[in-house]
Amino acid sequence: MIFDAYIQSLLVFTGINIIAAFSFYVPFKTGQVSLGQAGFMGVGAYAAGIITVKFGLPYPLGLLFAGLVSGVVGVCVGFPALRIRGIYLLLLTLGFAQIVQVVALTWDYTGAHDGFQGIPYQEYTIFYVYGTIVILLLFFSRLERSSLGRAMLSIHEDEEAAEVMGIDVVRTKLFAFGVGALIAGIAGAMFAHYTTYVDSRTFNILLGVEILMFAVVGGVTTYWGPILGAAFLTLLPEGLRGIRDLMELIPVSATDAIPYGNPIYDWMYEFLDFENEKRLIAYGLILIAMMILRPQGLLTRRTVRRLKFWKRDLASARS
Amino acid sequence: MFTQQLINGLMLGASYALVAIGYTLIFGVLRLLHFAHGEVFMFGAFIGLHIALAWSGANIYITIMGAMIGAGIVGFIVALVAVRPVSSKYPLAPLISTIGATLVMQNLAISIFGGAQVAFPETMDPTIYHIAGLTISSVQIFTLVMSVALMIVLWLYIDRSKMGRAIRAVAESHETAALLGVNVGRTLLFTFVIASALAGAAGVLDGLKNSAISPFMGLEVAVAGLVCMLLGGLGNIIGAMVAGFILGMVEILSAAYLGTSLRDLFTFVILILILIYRPTGLFGTRVVGD
Repeated sequence: MIFDAYIQSLLVFTGINIIAAFSFYVPFKTGQVSLGQAGFMGVGAYAAGIITVKFGLPYPLGLLFAGLVSGVVGVCVGFPALRIRGIYLLLLTLGFAQIVQVVALTWDYTGAHDGFQGIPYQEYTIFYVYGTIVILLLFFSRLERSSLGRAMLSIHEDEEAAEVMGIDVVRTKLFAFGVGALIAGIAGAMFAHYTTYVDSRTFNILLGVEILMFAVVGGVTTYWGPILGAAFLTLLPEGLRGIRDLMELIPVSATDAIPYGNPIYDWMYEFLDFENEKRLIAYGLILIAMMILRPQGLLTRRTVRRLKFWKRDLASARS
Repeated sequence: MFTQQLINGLMLGASYALVAIGYTLIFGVLRLLHFAHGEVFMFGAFIGLHIALAWSGANIYITIMGAMIGAGIVGFIVALVAVRPVSSKYPLAPLISTIGATLVMQNLAISIFGGAQVAFPETMDPTIYHIAGLTISSVQIFTLVMSVALMIVLWLYIDRSKMGRAIRAVAESHETAALLGVNVGRTLLFTFVIASALAGAAGVLDGLKNSAISPFMGLEVAVAGLVCMLLGGLGNIIGAMVAGFILGMVEILSAAYLGTSLRDLFTFVILILILIYRPTGLFGTRVVGD
């Protein structure tokens, strides 16, 4: 492997979080806000585990099966979800995630209380993860320009108007919810085959909340948002840890030169000891600050357009 | 046996109801899912604990009063830092910022109070009464009476006082309330303080009942409170009270007769059925639109 183990695991978890954030993004395109994506991840993890552990079939089959099962479950949950929206939908999906947890806790076939053990370790998870992300990116860039993508957007803007325009709202919303669940299921399956162990607490409410956070902090109007949000929020706690390592690079002669340099340095060094609680406190404060400063998310459709400088040049050359 | 379980359910329901009222008050005025409310509850319990420990002579009333004031201040700070400055134009932004507040508060509590479960001091002598085959302790009776008393006081306050009227007006419409001379910003902050004080009292009562508290006690109560808010109908205070007691009883009864692991399943199946068939809650919602 080209990376050391720590960097590699960091990259894998970042990638899985990006896929999970995408799974939130797809239903959100039609205005459906889900807190239950962790539940779909759980469904996928257990489905894939059954394929690889109980039937001894290869990993890619497990991924496919995970996506399939979780997509079907997604459509089943999506049906009642069609009737409700806003906070009600948030709670419905939360309830679904909770039910998945209880089933995982009580189902003897997959270990119940002891968790699902002995899931085979997939050495090349990192390639599967980033391969999936590339495929999803291609899918989203095509979707954006397709009539289906535009239909989704119009449902998000105004459901009644979309219906009047002749868009099949029910089918589009179900499709979006199902695809979201499918993506989450694959993310869960990859997670399970990387950690080799999952139990009912792995895919808890907090994970569902985190997935929502990834997407919203990154920005949900463009598919680049979930990538940035998931990467930023996954790496942030690790980055906070690294600040002290950077400080250690400052030579002593430099702090000697500044008046009171050394005590200030010591105080800063002490203060930036981001271990455990302090790191999460900083994380929470950064979340609050970001929502105050940029409630629409880090990336919006407009910022992405502005960032695509090569296209802008082409457009100005044409006109 | 059945009656005994019913009484246990009432006890559990009392803390749910107090938390759910806070949720529904805040949702009523701001349409905001106040995610950090469970942590306010937890902070209330710890403030109560430290008051009881600091003055060995402190009786339960002082402890509860202190916890209510402390939790009220905590809620005020949360509202000021994580809710007020966040634009409500993007509905998910305040949700995320209160999640951020949840993280900050939980980890602050761990670093201040330690991550372990701590015993809640006995601030009153537990006497066990045996009435017609039922076992009830004085602590249980006290918890129940205290929560019902707090709910009645709150209801009277919202129904009769000037500030209560302002809160109801703001819940109808911010613009209209502002036009009629209500200071909307101040009313919103005050709603947070009232809701948080109730959660603080609930925290102490919960600690008293379970005789132990931990920094992780917030999440479970927060989720239960959310379910109650929905059961009772969004923004409906009386509904939230009744729903709290109903959920408490459902949880205890299903735990007693179906087993603990199926308890949550039952709760959430009920939640989903209500969402699908009666999205306005059991008692109708007071909030127009979504």
